[in-house]
Amino acid sequence: MRPFNFFALLLFTAGLVWVFTLSEDAVRQVQKAYYSAISPMISKGAKAEKFAHDFIQEVEHSSDLKKQLEQSQRERDRFKLIASRVRELEGENNELRSALSFQKQTEFDVIASRVIRRQPHLWNSTIEINRGAGEGMGVSLCVLASNGGLVGRVSLPGDNVSSVLLITDEESQVPARVEGTSEVGLIVGQRTAYGESLKLRLTYLSKNAILKKGMNVYTDGRGKLFPANIPIGTIDEFEAGPVYGEAEIIPAVDFNNLKTVFVITDITGD
Amino acid sequence: MLSYIISLIGLLLLSCIVQQFLPPIAPWYGARVLVLPLVVLCGSATVSTAAMLILAFLGGFLWDSQHIIQHPTLDPAVFAPPSDSLKFGYSIILYAFMGFLMQGIRPMFQEGKWYLSAGLTGVAIFLYLFAEHLLRSFVRGSLDFDNGMINQIGMTSLFTMLASPVVFWMLYRIADLCGHEISD
Repeated sequence: MRPFNFFALLLFTAGLVWVFTLSEDAVRQVQKAYYSAISPMISKGAKAEKFAHDFIQEVEHSSDLKKQLEQSQRERDRFKLIASRVRELEGENNELRSALSFQKQTEFDVIASRVIRRQPHLWNSTIEINRGAGEGMGVSLCVLASNGGLVGRVSLPGDNVSSVLLITDEESQVPARVEGTSEVGLIVGQRTAYGESLKLRLTYLSKNAILKKGMNVYTDGRGKLFPANIPIGTIDEFEAGPVYGEAEIIPAVDFNNLKTVFVITDITGD
Repeated sequence: MLSYIISLIGLLLLSCIVQQFLPPIAPWYGARVLVLPLVVLCGSATVSTAAMLILAFLGGFLWDSQHIIQHPTLDPAVFAPPSDSLKFGYSIILYAFMGFLMQGIRPMFQEGKWYLSAGLTGVAIFLYLFAEHLLRSFVRGSLDFDNGMINQIGMTSLFTMLASPVVFWMLYRIADLCGHEISD
């Protein structure tokens, strides 16, 4: 090995040691600076992503339409399309109504935010929302859906966008309780293949817990990361292990169709 | 040589921005074109080992700045120990391994056989993503392999590889402008 390369390798190793020994606070500062620097690009990137998504949908839609036209049902299909558009608008209208009513009814101080990007990373389950530190976003603020279900927590606030770690991510942990029982545990996300429905797992239950399908699961407020009594989902299946019991949970939130979310800025509920 | 390396670093920063504009390709298992790793890989084939290490360090540092999730201080009485996350900086090591892989066929690249390097970028991206998946599985204590995951990694590698000639072309242009000799 040439002396210059050896020296470069030494410097590289020293740099590596420096990075691996950075404190959590230092890493947070680095990430915050990086995220603030690229957040204007994220906003524009989100628009590009939406454009690409709409374009692909349009192409798929056009191909479906062509097949239907070939079946000599032109006129009927036109009405079908109109009806479908009306249904879509009706759905959107209902969603906005429910979002508005949620903001009016909730006991928390919340900020409504639009989801601008889903799953920006290859592995992690995150979304990006159009509110940043300037609008009161902070690390670990709790995020809810318009039906009141738990979505996740703010993991990285930027200047005008923020990243939200969903409860379906493997790194997420939410203290939870099962309604009508004394069972408490931790909700963790589960790895899913692309296109599969998202799953949650309630761990650290007692192994002889008596849990039935359909029982409601709520946050229990332990650890003070999430306020108590927020719906998380319903029990689908319970498995008793040698030490603990675990239950599969169907989330209360439809994570594939999240459009508007609410960030709780004051968890006291005053 | 120095101006070429500085330009490469500029290109690396630019790739961070470009990455924000590239959406997942939903019909193909949500595959992505990974521009930042691609710039590191293609750049590695055109520079010396020392410069490759600089690229790998900066590339890994920027990548982890965007992708590592930090946890708040959690009450140990309530939450399980957060041992299931990769340490900030792990990508630097993976990028350096990929860089050494690209350096392995640098003599052929210098002979003008850029298509071999382009093919190797696909292999290197696949190995990188696969190693990343294994590392994440290892620290979380469960090894899952399913077709969806393999397809997603495979398609991401394929699309990234298909973009590599564009990056190589840009590097040749930058090298010309900087007076840097890529080929023998």
